[in-house]
Amino acid sequence: MTASIRASTTSRSENGPRWRQKLLFTRAGRTTVRLAAVAAILLFWQLMPMDRSAKMWASDPAAIVATLWDWILDGSLWHHLGATLLVMSLGYVIGCAVGAALGLVFGFFPFFYRILAPYISAFYALPKIALAPLFIILLGVGVESKVALVALTVFFLVLNSTIEGARNVDPDSVEGLILMGSTRSEIVAKVLLPASMPWIFTGMRIAVRYAFTNTLLAELIAANSGLGYLIQYNSATFDSSGVYASILVLVVFSVTLTEILTRLEKHLGARHE
Amino acid sequence: MPSNTRNNLLRAVSKQPLEDTPKIRLTEVAKNFSVRGQDIEALRPINLEIRPCEFVALVGPSGCGKSTILNMVAGLMKPSSGAVLYDNKAVTEPNRNIGYMTQKDTLLPWRTTAQNIGISLELKCRANERGQARDRIAQIIELVGLKGFEHHYPSELSGGMRKRVALARTLLYQPETLLMDEPFGALDAQLKLVMLDQLQRLTATRHMTVLFVTHDLGEAITLADRVVVFGARPGRIRTVRTINLPRPRDVFKIRFTEAFARIHEDLWDELKDEVMQGSDV
Repeated sequence: MTASIRASTTSRSENGPRWRQKLLFTRAGRTTVRLAAVAAILLFWQLMPMDRSAKMWASDPAAIVATLWDWILDGSLWHHLGATLLVMSLGYVIGCAVGAALGLVFGFFPFFYRILAPYISAFYALPKIALAPLFIILLGVGVESKVALVALTVFFLVLNSTIEGARNVDPDSVEGLILMGSTRSEIVAKVLLPASMPWIFTGMRIAVRYAFTNTLLAELIAANSGLGYLIQYNSATFDSSGVYASILVLVVFSVTLTEILTRLEKHLGARHE
Repeated sequence: MPSNTRNNLLRAVSKQPLEDTPKIRLTEVAKNFSVRGQDIEALRPINLEIRPCEFVALVGPSGCGKSTILNMVAGLMKPSSGAVLYDNKAVTEPNRNIGYMTQKDTLLPWRTTAQNIGISLELKCRANERGQARDRIAQIIELVGLKGFEHHYPSELSGGMRKRVALARTLLYQPETLLMDEPFGALDAQLKLVMLDQLQRLTATRHMTVLFVTHDLGEAITLADRVVVFGARPGRIRTVRTINLPRPRDVFKIRFTEAFARIHEDLWDELKDEVMQGSDV
């Protein structure tokens, strides 16, 4: 009894035999365990006895890797990856630029905003992905319709947060500067713009994830290129290896994206402090 | 006019012409606010004249309309009735002859101490002063005791330091008239005296007209040519007292003189009733 109490009060890493400590409490140990777990699952998947129809639905790791390898060799992987990246980044940049610019205009001339506010909030509330079929009618199944959809999604996110920022500028700071004799444009440059910046960046940060999700959804609905299209196409042709392979690519893609964003935010955040 | 001692003194040292027209004149100025549909009488019609280069302190309990008066002189608020004149002209828009140090410091959080202080010299209307900006900023930072904090952001400064940044920012561009709303409330007693001393010296050498709001009676008597005691709810002037203490005043010792004590006692009697009244609301 007393022994177990003593054990639970001592620190965690002193618990258990040495090999277990090494596996659970060192970085290398944890990585080993993780990889071993995945390897076990893959091995089971590969060696599990399956008849032909089961094989067709479930595929197996070797077939998936073979498919992936084919895509790399014939260049189609880069083609689709590039299409997704293009749609996402182009839509994102357009949406951010227009959203921030229009948001600032609305913030500085509240008159316009007061008139348009109900329409803006109606559009803001609408799940933009519902417009994908419309854009496909208008702009075709190519890259253009996806860029438009992503840009629209990003636009409303950045617009809203920019307006919020511009409206939250401390009116006392503005008054103080007016009394010092500043002109209207000086107030914009010295107070309104820098005060709105953090809000614009917040909107942009949130918008990255939305841009990614909506790019993929749009490609799933109807497209002729992109990772979403790859999943959709392989599924429609009952090529389960292809579906798994494209999901694998997608996982790598989103992990990389998230990692880059996290580092970027940390870097910018540290600089802001 | 006994309060002219300071003005005479200034005239002697600076040959500053003294006009008889007041710098600021409030005639029958009243202000009502509408709060949740209810009309609140913030300021009953008052009359007040402030001569050029005069230092006037407004003292009174909170809610007596002192800050409202500053806002109206600054042109940020319109009186409900009556007229606010500056240089004999009605104040109808933000008054650019004044430097206004509000109760809340309005420092820009993305600018360092030096950048916040120097903002007035970046404006087009002072383009010709830009050359000496660096020296003047350094000088004023030294004056308010913020040396070593030039590159700190407001979030890295204490409340008292932020107040001093705001003060330096207002003094830097040498406005003709200073409006100050409890500028030293957040400072500790010793530092406050140092600041009072600097303020007295600066406003005298620069011939500034000052309208100074405070709840500290001692501070008011130490600095002012005239002290205006306000009563609260609704705001009105209870009494105006001319402070005849000779200038320049020693802010560190003047409060221990007999003359000071007498004035303090008289004014405290006036103020006491108002403060008591205010506290049970």
